[in-house]
Amino acid sequence: MMNRAVIEGSALAVLALSILTLWFRARYKSRPASDGGYFTREELQFELGRLQDEALRWLTTTNHREIGILYIVFGTVAALWGGMDGMMLRTELLTPPADIWTPETYNALFTTHGLTMLIFFVLPVFFGIGNYFLPLLIGADDMAFPRVNAIGFWLLPPALLMARFGLIVQIGGQVLSIFLPEDQITFFLSLREVSVGWTLYAPLSVVQPNPQIDLLLLGLHLSGIATTVGAINFIATVIYERADDVTWGNLDIFSWNMMVTSSIALFAFPLLGSALVMLLLDRNLGTTFFATEGGGPILWQHLFWFWGHPEVYILFLPATGLMSLILPKFVGRKLFGYQFIVYSTLGLAVMSFGVWAHHMFTSGVDPRLKASFMAISIAIAVPSAIKVFNWLTTMWDGNIRLSAPFILCAGGIGTFIIGGVTGVFLAVIPIDILYHGTYYVVGHFHLIVVGIIPMLMIASSYYWYPIMTGRWYDRRLAKFQSGLLIVGAFVTFMTLLVIGGLGLPRRQAIYPAEYQFAQQIATVGAYVIGLSALMWLYNMLVSYWRGDIVQSTDPWNLKATNQFTREWQWFESRMVEKYDMEPAQPESTRRSYAPELEPMGLLGGVGSVAQNVYRNASMAAIAGFTGTFLMTGGIGTAIVIGVLDPSSFAEISELVGLGTSQLIGAALFLAGGTIIWPLLFLSFQEFLPGRRMFETGLVFATLVATGFSVAFYTDQQGLALIGYLTFVFVAHWAYGLGLAVTFQFLRSRRTDVGV
Amino acid sequence: MSDESILFTYVAPFVGVLVVAVGIGAAVPGGYAIIQDDITTCDQPTIAVEGPEETSERFGETAPDLARLSYDELEPGEQEAFEEALEDPVGEARVAGTFPNGDTFRNGTIVVYEGERHYTTVVAENPCFIAPELQFPLGVFAIIFGVAGILSPPAYRKLVDLEEQANVDTRR
Repeated sequence: MMNRAVIEGSALAVLALSILTLWFRARYKSRPASDGGYFTREELQFELGRLQDEALRWLTTTNHREIGILYIVFGTVAALWGGMDGMMLRTELLTPPADIWTPETYNALFTTHGLTMLIFFVLPVFFGIGNYFLPLLIGADDMAFPRVNAIGFWLLPPALLMARFGLIVQIGGQVLSIFLPEDQITFFLSLREVSVGWTLYAPLSVVQPNPQIDLLLLGLHLSGIATTVGAINFIATVIYERADDVTWGNLDIFSWNMMVTSSIALFAFPLLGSALVMLLLDRNLGTTFFATEGGGPILWQHLFWFWGHPEVYILFLPATGLMSLILPKFVGRKLFGYQFIVYSTLGLAVMSFGVWAHHMFTSGVDPRLKASFMAISIAIAVPSAIKVFNWLTTMWDGNIRLSAPFILCAGGIGTFIIGGVTGVFLAVIPIDILYHGTYYVVGHFHLIVVGIIPMLMIASSYYWYPIMTGRWYDRRLAKFQSGLLIVGAFVTFMTLLVIGGLGLPRRQAIYPAEYQFAQQIATVGAYVIGLSALMWLYNMLVSYWRGDIVQSTDPWNLKATNQFTREWQWFESRMVEKYDMEPAQPESTRRSYAPELEPMGLLGGVGSVAQNVYRNASMAAIAGFTGTFLMTGGIGTAIVIGVLDPSSFAEISELVGLGTSQLIGAALFLAGGTIIWPLLFLSFQEFLPGRRMFETGLVFATLVATGFSVAFYTDQQGLALIGYLTFVFVAHWAYGLGLAVTFQFLRSRRTDVGV
Repeated sequence: MSDESILFTYVAPFVGVLVVAVGIGAAVPGGYAIIQDDITTCDQPTIAVEGPEETSERFGETAPDLARLSYDELEPGEQEAFEEALEDPVGEARVAGTFPNGDTFRNGTIVVYEGERHYTTVVAENPCFIAPELQFPLGVFAIIFGVAGILSPPAYRKLVDLEEQANVDTRR
């Protein structure tokens, strides 16, 4: 069996060396070398002095942007470390038996992979992005508590070292065992990486004698304190440090999301801290919080998941905030449904505390309680779906710029939809009982954590790279890397969904031979993800020294669509101040939505909102009546030739509690066609495909016809079915055309009168 | 000719990455298969030995329906591993050499040592990794070939520059 400590240690050392070499080589090559490029003694001394100064500066800084960079660098290191674990465990799965690592090593790999990625990679990176950009976005000078901010960050490196100390000690022990007899280095040989799973379930985590578990618990506790401290800082900053003109109504979505994330963290992490202390006490002082005869192992699961599920949203919400912030910039449209997105974020925050037991459906929790958790777990899909629909609507008919950040946004939405929908199935108790222990679960959550989360981290790194460095990244490589990440994530985790669906158990180093090919595909996909991550890192490091210098104060041409937000304004003022640059002036500007049409607002016009609404609603009613009248021809013919059963109309009347009367049903149908559908059309027509209103009317009618054809279907077969569908669609198209054309006609007359 | 060839800017490096990924999957285990005899101890199963208290907790005072072995009945390699596991913090050790009681251990057995019962079982077989001889060289070749694919965009741009330079020179 391969020696995990030596292999992982060597691989990480090679990676670190390569990164350092790359960095210094790029830096060295970017400098002018008038002396032929040879290092002189003085130059070396100067270089060392400079390094000393830099080290002191970075160790003591309280500047939010520098702490942000420290967080991002720390998170990247953790990602590489945890990613290495992931690559190693995928390598084991290339063959069915446990013939590369021992099963215990495999268990340790998935344990440390999970903990490192979830605790030390994702949130630190988001806190880093938040630290750098949130004060710029809200017009603050710095975070509310700069020193607390620095402390919050500097608690993290020792926390990571403690959590991963097993590997360090193992490597140390193996090096020392070359020189010293084993009995003198027992300590180094007794610690090993934790292998009880990242959920640290009792009683296994209590009874396993490995002392590294205690260090891990302390490390996690420390990271929890760091997170709580950081969360308090973000909340205070957003509440108290906003510029005067930044209100709750125009606060950008990323800052909203960072504040909500921090609020969740504030409630969740102290609880994790308590649970960790209880576990430590059980392990070392003989308490019985989680002992079978004491509080019971299920108590650990409750406490762990009461933190664990909100943690999912702590990781996910900042990514959605970035999506809502970045996506509109690359489609040239204002974010659709700002308020709905804010409320959905708040909704997710509250609901995230009411779903934890869905992780425990296979345990002995009372089934009546489980049912309530099932209901909320299904319901939590609603606010998530609201976000997705708003993003899709923002993109709809937009002026899409196919740049790396956009590709990653689109990929993030795609992976999130699949990852999210597969999660809704798992919220259902009978399905969860079948699939809980399989790769289906692994596929589901990885489509989120290797989907929207890193994709939006990377998208933001590209989007804001000009602000952070004053240079451009390699844009071709970035596009390529983005595509690669999306392909890698889909190949790997869709394969896991399939083999999980077939019933392959997760968390096993050994698996039946018939799954080998699928596992190999997933492993190759995982290597593609790894290579893509390395390409991103290469691009970030090398472009810092060799990227094209940004020549404009508006590198993304955001002014053209009125999306030159605060952080870019800050960048512009800095560029003007530092390099005497001219502020960029776009060739043309337009409102950041409705790119092709004239902005219509509430369908245009002067007057108060109430007047506009009244005018539009009355025009819509007339248009709706015309449309419904035209539609009646089609529907009537369908009834006469017998392909549509008129008794279906009675169901409408029954639905609203007026008995089964066909006449009342038909009247209600007419009223709906005159009032409700035209108003819906007015609300959404801007976001339906089509340049002209009659085109959007046809699209709207087609969508409505789809619903109609299902609702009014009365078991028609063969030709009757074809006739039914034909008449339904043609009648609806008549309605759509009638509605849109009449509406435009009335508007044009009103405009003429106005002129 | 445009230097924005889709084929050489995106398709070739994409294929290259796939080939590298497959190459890593072949070369890393393939290389390990070649050197595993020198650097590791495969085919030595791991046994786990529980202490007398844990064993009593597991079975109570009843006699479980398991084979019982006395420590003296074990082969030297088995005895050595047994003692090592007793000392080990996690209670595990590898059996080096012959393992005649392997099947009994795999079913789980009670080993009586110094008058006390120890539940003992095999927890990992640790089989050697078997790979075709060609796996490693082909994997390495795939990595090199794939890297060439990944590097094709800058190479292509250089070639285009060269050609344009040549055309300019010719026109002069």
